[in-house]
Amino acid sequence: MVDVMAAMDLNPLWVSLKTVLVATAITFVLGIIIARWMARREFKGKSLLDGIFILPLVLPPTVVGFILLWFLGRNGWLGSLFFEIGRPVVFSWSAAVIAAAVVSFPLMYQTARGAFEQIDANIEDAARTLGSSEWDVFWQVTIPMAWPGIAAGTILAFARSLGEFGATLMLAGNIPGRTQTIPVAIYFLVEGGRQQQALIWVLVILLISFISIVALNYWKKHQRRFSSRPNREVTSDS
Amino acid sequence: MDQEIMAILGPSGCGKTMTLKCIAGLMTPDQGKIILNEQALFDSQQGINLPARERNIGFLFQNYALFPHLTVHENIAFGIKSLPAAQRNERVQQLLSKVRMERFGHRYPAQLSGGQQQRVALARALAPEPEVLLLDEPFSALDTQVKERLEAELLEIQADFQGHVLFVTHNLAEAYRLSSKMAVYETGGLIQWGDRQTIIERPANKKVAYLTGMENIFNGIVSGIEGSRLDIGLGTDYLSLYLDNPSSLEINQEVSLAIRPDYIKLADKGDVNCILAELTGSTEELSFYSYSFRFNEKINLKANIPKSSGPRLIVGKSYHLHLPPENLVIIGDNVSAGRSS
Repeated sequence: MVDVMAAMDLNPLWVSLKTVLVATAITFVLGIIIARWMARREFKGKSLLDGIFILPLVLPPTVVGFILLWFLGRNGWLGSLFFEIGRPVVFSWSAAVIAAAVVSFPLMYQTARGAFEQIDANIEDAARTLGSSEWDVFWQVTIPMAWPGIAAGTILAFARSLGEFGATLMLAGNIPGRTQTIPVAIYFLVEGGRQQQALIWVLVILLISFISIVALNYWKKHQRRFSSRPNREVTSDS
Repeated sequence: MDQEIMAILGPSGCGKTMTLKCIAGLMTPDQGKIILNEQALFDSQQGINLPARERNIGFLFQNYALFPHLTVHENIAFGIKSLPAAQRNERVQQLLSKVRMERFGHRYPAQLSGGQQQRVALARALAPEPEVLLLDEPFSALDTQVKERLEAELLEIQADFQGHVLFVTHNLAEAYRLSSKMAVYETGGLIQWGDRQTIIERPANKKVAYLTGMENIFNGIVSGIEGSRLDIGLGTDYLSLYLDNPSSLEINQEVSLAIRPDYIKLADKGDVNCILAELTGSTEELSFYSYSFRFNEKINLKANIPKSSGPRLIVGKSYHLHLPPENLVIIGDNVSAGRSS
């Protein structure tokens, strides 16, 4: 086993970490903005739009990969643009990021939207009557109150992009050191009969995922701090 | 309007809360004007619509709407962030002691009782020294004892508050106790505005009368007026009643007369404004009997007679009732509306 570890190519780890961090950052920002927007607005076609945002969660990753290829491939309407400026998306590291971001977006969006919708609009209104601008209301009231939900969504999105395989393989391929993430590496190691190396990556993924779930539970506990009433001594002089 | 408490009274769902939110700038009315101390906050014609943060209006929400992620101290300090830290803390301390919550500054809202939360919400709304304080059903979620104490505290705070207080309620007794002026709302908007005595004693129309607990209303046709005596025809019968001001009426005009159940007295035959009515039902309340009478075959009257004035009357028998002239009110959708609104 020691020999196996010494001979190991650590590139999949770095590619995975880089991809997942950037993808999670994108999902984080986009997820919050879109979730907030959807939570407080009523318009025609809202549920259709909501369906589109959730879709990557229920579609097989290969279908997501196929659709992304269709958009971003050399002949796709967006892909051809990138191709012309000399930076094709397909089979590049950005393709891995895009695939990871797209499949993890629904988790961030849905969790954050739920958190925003749970906020009593009166509390935001109270801040307004106390002289807060919309910007202040968002940063000082909305975000802190939705924070447990946002954190949970971020952890879920992180874990999902770390595990992304199908869409990544279709859009980004399997280029060692560039687009080969841990899940892709595991697949090709097993296919090539190198079970022991595959096992090490499996353990790495297990460890990271387990830490994520523990962190998620921690946040859920934290959320309870102000969403329910602890039965601590409430002095009688009310 | 000087510094006084005004009440908006109306059933739930009639637009009272919406009115408060429009004043505070949290909702935008379709049209009209909102003017505070000669400053236009909203004017649909001139396109003025000041955002809530610039209106300097304190708002106490029905569910208190405290910031759950901030302590009591931080909640109260929220609206005075522009003050220097030392001054801000001093102001928070001062408000905490005003609402008797000095020891709770470090607590989170979830750790407080309903009454405590409301006092924090009140302190928070008062912190930026608003020109108007709006209270949305401030006492409806509290039990009677807490409610009484908070009402007293509100009056105390109002006494040294340099602005107007406007509060919304569906409870007539509460509106009457706390306010000097009242606006009566019904689905669709304002139906009467005036000082509380006028609203109670001289409701502008039947809707106001019903909403303010004027339960006995009966209709007739004026058949004669002589001094303070009014003859009215009730179907086939005639009734002569003495009133304070029947002179505004005309012969053959349709008129509605009303009297509160609390003002009807038992009488001996021969008194003025005396009617013979059959008792059709009775219930026993804490300090009075609530009787249902019927006279003239179709007119029902409710009377609350104090227990101290005699034994319980017997259902099925007929009694003489006295309707005191000073408590008998003429209601016409046109008659007294002009005078009191």
